[in-house]
Amino acid sequence: MFEWSEQHRQIRAMLRRFVETEVVPHREALEFGDLPPYGILRKLLQTFGVDEMAKAQFAADIEREKSGAPPKEKKVRTEFSQGAADAAAMRILPVVEISRVSPGMITAMGVSVGLTAGAIMKKGTIRQKEEFVPALLTLEKVGAWAITEPGSGSDAFGSMRASARRDGDDYILNGNKTFITNGPHADTIVFICKLDEGNAPEHRKVLTFILDGDTPGLEKSKPLRKMGLHASPTGELFLTDVRVPKYRLLGETETAPSREGAKETFANERTAVAAMALGIVERCLELCVDYAKTRVQFGKPIGDFQLIQLKLAKMEVARMNIQNLVLRQVELAGWGKSMDLAEASACKLYCAQSAMEVCLEAVQLFGGNGYMSEYQVEQLCRDAKVMQIYGGTDEIQISQIARALLAR
Amino acid sequence: MKILVPLKRVADPDNANKVKIPASGATIETTGLEWKPNPFDEYALEAALRLTEDGKAPKVRAGEVVVVTFGPKETETTLRAALATGADRAIRVDAADDKLDGHLVARALKALVEREKPDLVLMGKQAVDGDSNQVGQILAEQLDYPMATFAATMKEEAGGLLVGREVDGGVITLRVKFPAVVTVDLRIVAPTSVYSMKTAPAFKYNDGVRFAALPAIMAAKKKPLAEVKLADLAADQGLRVTYHGFQAPPARKAGIKVKDVTDLVNRLKNEAKAL
Ligand SMILES: Cc1cc2nc3c(=O)[nH]c(=O)nc-3n(C[C@H](O)[C@H](O)[C@H](O)COP(=O)(O)OP(=O)(O)OC[C@H]3O[C@@H](n4cnc5c(N)ncnc54)[C@H](O)[C@@H]3O)c2cc1C
Repeated sequence: MFEWSEQHRQIRAMLRRFVETEVVPHREALEFGDLPPYGILRKLLQTFGVDEMAKAQFAADIEREKSGAPPKEKKVRTEFSQGAADAAAMRILPVVEISRVSPGMITAMGVSVGLTAGAIMKKGTIRQKEEFVPALLTLEKVGAWAITEPGSGSDAFGSMRASARRDGDDYILNGNKTFITNGPHADTIVFICKLDEGNAPEHRKVLTFILDGDTPGLEKSKPLRKMGLHASPTGELFLTDVRVPKYRLLGETETAPSREGAKETFANERTAVAAMALGIVERCLELCVDYAKTRVQFGKPIGDFQLIQLKLAKMEVARMNIQNLVLRQVELAGWGKSMDLAEASACKLYCAQSAMEVCLEAVQLFGGNGYMSEYQVEQLCRDAKVMQIYGGTDEIQISQIARALLAR
Repeated sequence: MKILVPLKRVADPDNANKVKIPASGATIETTGLEWKPNPFDEYALEAALRLTEDGKAPKVRAGEVVVVTFGPKETETTLRAALATGADRAIRVDAADDKLDGHLVARALKALVEREKPDLVLMGKQAVDGDSNQVGQILAEQLDYPMATFAATMKEEAGGLLVGREVDGGVITLRVKFPAVVTVDLRIVAPTSVYSMKTAPAFKYNDGVRFAALPAIMAAKKKPLAEVKLADLAADQGLRVTYHGFQAPPARKAGIKVKDVTDLVNRLKNEAKAL
């Protein structure tokens, strides 16, 4: 049986203490006051030395690349490495613990540190990595990763309108992006568009640019009003004839394959949803068990009613399943492996759906209080919904799982 | 400065598995409990770290902080956590929990202090399980060291410490010369409670005990952790404290409603005998 180790439990306890003292007191401001989450997140990274760990890892990777050595291959191990498993656990546990209170904060951090810095690390030149990545890893700069447009979501590449035109040694960029996490505060934006060579959009090559948030011609919207995930500012980006030199082109060449590597990025993003779901479900369950024991109706605690017991039991089943999927990621890492895309899609689909079910049942269990923001389950419920939409909708996960099955 | 910090694990009161007392009342059932460090010991460790650093650069230790615990192998978890937080070295004195009492721990600590020769033994004022509040005092007596208890503030000076101790109506300041034994109270982790000679007087710590950084948690696995046999420290392992029985606190009775002020006064006088 693979379990959280004593050390993992200690880390969780520490993170929980941080969340209690640094996040919980700001919940109102994060939820209803547009307080950007970055200050608290920076403090988190500093307090736990994550920023220095990331910088050290970055320095080692760059050193390796400069020496001309091939990038470190993920190698499957013949023996289980607790160190590798622990390293994975250290990435996962903060996601679980923070999601108990604020899934939005994790989204904001993940997009900056994971998606944006990750995209540059994967395909950027050494110069681009050195210039843009370290500040993103420490959240000194806020990163955004922009692919979605008003007219293109699930079919992100197919119906993409955003464009780049060559103009001498420069490029001229145009287009609108929407639903961009961190967009309103972004300092560094990874902007995905298509090279317009006068050809039809469906035949255009995909290019990616790295933009500064204050580039002339780039406009950032205010945070959009949304159903939940308020701790993660989401916005629109408008580009009108934005002129950039060639060195802003990710990889500094038009021939770098832009869709490649996307699979691994998607897989990482999807597995992270499992850790978020675990935090949300654990919290809902705790709140519900507590409420079931203390809320008295018809002369007894509502936990005495079988219909309430059924809700609790189902929540526990979901919690166990989600936790097993999270632990599986930790265990795989110990063997030098990770979930492939189809597996990660299945994992995300299950975790997002069951977290949503748990949250809805939690609201129901709390009755009128469940509908009131004071009791937190309604927030988790609104926040959880996004996991079925971003990072590929449930429907898209289903089609990718099926595609992999049918290709066997 | 070299500081020895004794740590004890105690049952985590927030955990679902609570301490149980079997019907006989002869012992306390400890199986299935989850443990955490005694909070006052954590404060002592935090204070020890503050005394051995410049608050601005807490990663550099000026001196040495050694942590020690008494207990079975599992208690090494408590020591590893302390190493991750910043202690340099750890010692586990191998012993069974139920074969220890405050006096024996103090006697064994005395032998350890003679071996390790720290400038300061910094301890929690008491463990929150037995609430005995005695090991520090017995140890100081046995060593014939100067002692300050319930420290709320500490300021390092050449060859010793100025220790502030809150009492009714004010603060007593004690000057202790090294080597010494000091036990700490909870205010010792307030932002301006502890100053080493390196830390600027204007510096303010975060309130409470510090967090261990994740890389430090990994690195703590490689820090030295020695095991010492209790017999090597205490030839006489006899216990001076015998427990005659344990009892859970009585369940709280439901309150009553009083009719009016007269009724209240009457009941306070005749039933509660408080007036
Ligand atoms: C809070 C939030 C943050 C986001 N952050 C970012 C970000 O940082 N960067 C970014 O680029 N994007 C971001 N997005 C966008 C997100 O990735 C898209 O919303 C998502 O991919 C879905 O696209 P869409 O909204 O256009 O929906 P559509 O693609 O229009 O989908 C509408 C419905 O049709 C279904 N559907 C679509 N195609 C199919 C199909 N082939 N088969 C069956 N059903 C289908 C969908 O599942 C959905 O139910 C964010 C979204 C949200 C809500």
